[in-house]
Amino acid sequence: MRRSAWLGSISLAATMVASLASAQEIDWKKELGDQSGKTVRVITITDPFIDSMKNTKDGFTKLTGANVEIDGYGYDALHEKELLSCSQNDSSYDVMLIDGIWIGEFAEAGCIDSAEKRIADGNPAVIAWDDFTPSAAGQASWGGERLCVPVGIYYELMYYRTDLFEQAGIEVPKTFEELKKASATFTNNEKFPGVYGYAMNNKRGAAAGQQWFEWIYSAGGKPWASNDIGAKEPYADQTPLFNSKESVDLVQFFKDMTAYGPPGVESFAWDERANAFAAGKLAMMNDWSVRAQIANDPKQSQIAGKFKAALMPHKDGGKTVSPVGGWVACINAHGAQKEAAWDYIKWFASPEVHKQYVLAGGPPSRISSLTDAEVQAKYPWTEVLNEAQKDSWVEVRPRHPLAFQLIDTLGADVNKAIIGESTPQAAMDNANAEITKLLKQNGLLQ
Amino acid sequence: MALPMSETAARPLSAWRGSRRGFHHGDRFQAAMFVGPTCVFLAVLTIWPFLYSVYLSLHAVKLTTLKRAVFIGLDNYVAILSDGLFLRAFFNTGLLAVTSISCEIVIGLIVAKAFVALAHLSWVNGLRSLFLMPMMVTPLIVGMIFAYVFNPVIGIANYMLGSIGIGPVPWFGSSIAAMISILVINVWQWTPFMMLLILAGLMSIRSDLYEAARVDGAKRRHILRYIELPSIRSIVLLGVILRVIDTLRFFDVVYVTTRGGPGESTMVLTLYAYQQNFQYFQVGVGSAAAVIILATSIVITTFAVGLLRRIENE
Repeated sequence: MRRSAWLGSISLAATMVASLASAQEIDWKKELGDQSGKTVRVITITDPFIDSMKNTKDGFTKLTGANVEIDGYGYDALHEKELLSCSQNDSSYDVMLIDGIWIGEFAEAGCIDSAEKRIADGNPAVIAWDDFTPSAAGQASWGGERLCVPVGIYYELMYYRTDLFEQAGIEVPKTFEELKKASATFTNNEKFPGVYGYAMNNKRGAAAGQQWFEWIYSAGGKPWASNDIGAKEPYADQTPLFNSKESVDLVQFFKDMTAYGPPGVESFAWDERANAFAAGKLAMMNDWSVRAQIANDPKQSQIAGKFKAALMPHKDGGKTVSPVGGWVACINAHGAQKEAAWDYIKWFASPEVHKQYVLAGGPPSRISSLTDAEVQAKYPWTEVLNEAQKDSWVEVRPRHPLAFQLIDTLGADVNKAIIGESTPQAAMDNANAEITKLLKQNGLLQ
Repeated sequence: MALPMSETAARPLSAWRGSRRGFHHGDRFQAAMFVGPTCVFLAVLTIWPFLYSVYLSLHAVKLTTLKRAVFIGLDNYVAILSDGLFLRAFFNTGLLAVTSISCEIVIGLIVAKAFVALAHLSWVNGLRSLFLMPMMVTPLIVGMIFAYVFNPVIGIANYMLGSIGIGPVPWFGSSIAAMISILVINVWQWTPFMMLLILAGLMSIRSDLYEAARVDGAKRRHILRYIELPSIRSIVLLGVILRVIDTLRFFDVVYVTTRGGPGESTMVLTLYAYQQNFQYFQVGVGSAAAVIILATSIVITTFAVGLLRRIENE
């Protein structure tokens, strides 16, 4: 016992020394220019990590003299605002946080000033690119270039109520069938009054569309012909496979799961799902890791400390491929303060500041933060996140210029099947035809 | 600079004639100066955007790549008019207009009559002002309020139903429930507007008409049918025209609560145009949709205004 405590102390001390060493390696006064009198304006999503961003921004002001203003928008509104501003050559924002799946669209529209040269020419210890998880690094890259820098990478996990599972005496589900059984256990059960088994993202449009992409690889399928896990050219053949057997079975699974959700689960999206879980109405849900903060906050959650995370279930005999998503910071191509913008990005994304931001509730995007003992102690699901990132695939969702429209189109048909307006087969046949037409019209498919 | 008196007195008659023509010219110039800014304002803010929309609607173009626009004639219009989603949006908008405006007229009439009947009470004025509050709230905020009210898990609507033993209702979870929920929200917000118009119509009826009807033995239903309804007909039609135009622009509540779902059950015309323009940035298709909405609005309004004039002439 004493020996293990001693070893633990040494390990902790080593980590601290390593951290200090890494912190000392970077001379910020040398790395960052004098930006006194300037205001760096950042546009981002109003996901829970926005508060963590605001908590860390004063450090940049102390080092450079520049103020940092951070504005938040909802998901759709952010996409609209950023692209509209770009089409008007608007320089209002210096740093844009974009969803990794928008990167193709933004690159094609000329909205992003590539970070490749700045990263290549800069101090490797500042950006520490190899410290980003491979899927995080992939989210920030497009066409073989590092266009942006990952700052808020999410992995989709399954969350479950430890108290309810203990009471029910059942194992955490690992396969689709086990998930159905466990969900049935908690639904309409007198022992668990007011609790439902599971809730998914079923709302028409982006919510249902993204859900399909989040599950398809764990269901044994893939979205288009050349998008195999690890493929070097995943966009070489984009022939859609939305009406494959695996896809139709998956949509049937979504439909089946509505039986274990609260009334109206057919119209649930990210927030409805997270709020219902935090309100203690759900035994399980899957969601992006950033939303675990909602359930973990005693001010807004009734289940703080009563839940754990696990990898998302997979098809019987298959394997979980954890979905990756999240936000990358880019320099506005039309911005007037590109050097100040880059200074902010490299400072904010650096391992040292990233850890502070993660401890303040931000999503860990670096291996160093995912494996950090302090982070893991504060946010217990971080260990599972680290497992998830090992088996995630960066192209789990399309990232080309039509990504937004494609996902929305798919989501309309998935929702139709879920509410029974179409059969899963008919809905996915229609989705396949519509998306084929869309890709052909835009020259992405012959 | 004014001329000295001696110079003006010495002017010959022909010079006065000339200056008179100058005066007329000046009058026209002044008129042009007054009307000009309005014309420029209209041209810049209304006519030019409309013409640009028509131009875009004839091209295959994305907002993010405007320079790569390709002329495709009427293909966008053909694509939209054969798009099941657009046709469903058209149907839903029509259905919402008919059901919503009908409910607003019926409820507005009942409430307006109640206010007329209670007009002698001092507190009715305050109540009337309170009744008008929903239409003063921004539609987007109304959508957000009802998104919480009708939230199936944490919403107050299901909580209240639960307290009287009724199970939770999936307000936005099924096609029919979602459409009814949208209808309820729309009626809640805009019935006060219709009530206000009807109330104005009812209050403009001379009291001697009521007295004469009662002397003749008319019952309430007779008064309603032969005095009140004919008196408020034109003002209600005006309200209907305004509300139809409003419904064609109906967007915020659907955007916040259902995004057109479940399925396509609450997809409306403006949401369709919005998605094409600002979510997919397919401004060619989106502009074609906007032009069709505008044309529909003009046709309906022209027809309704003609009807209004005919009623007024009768």
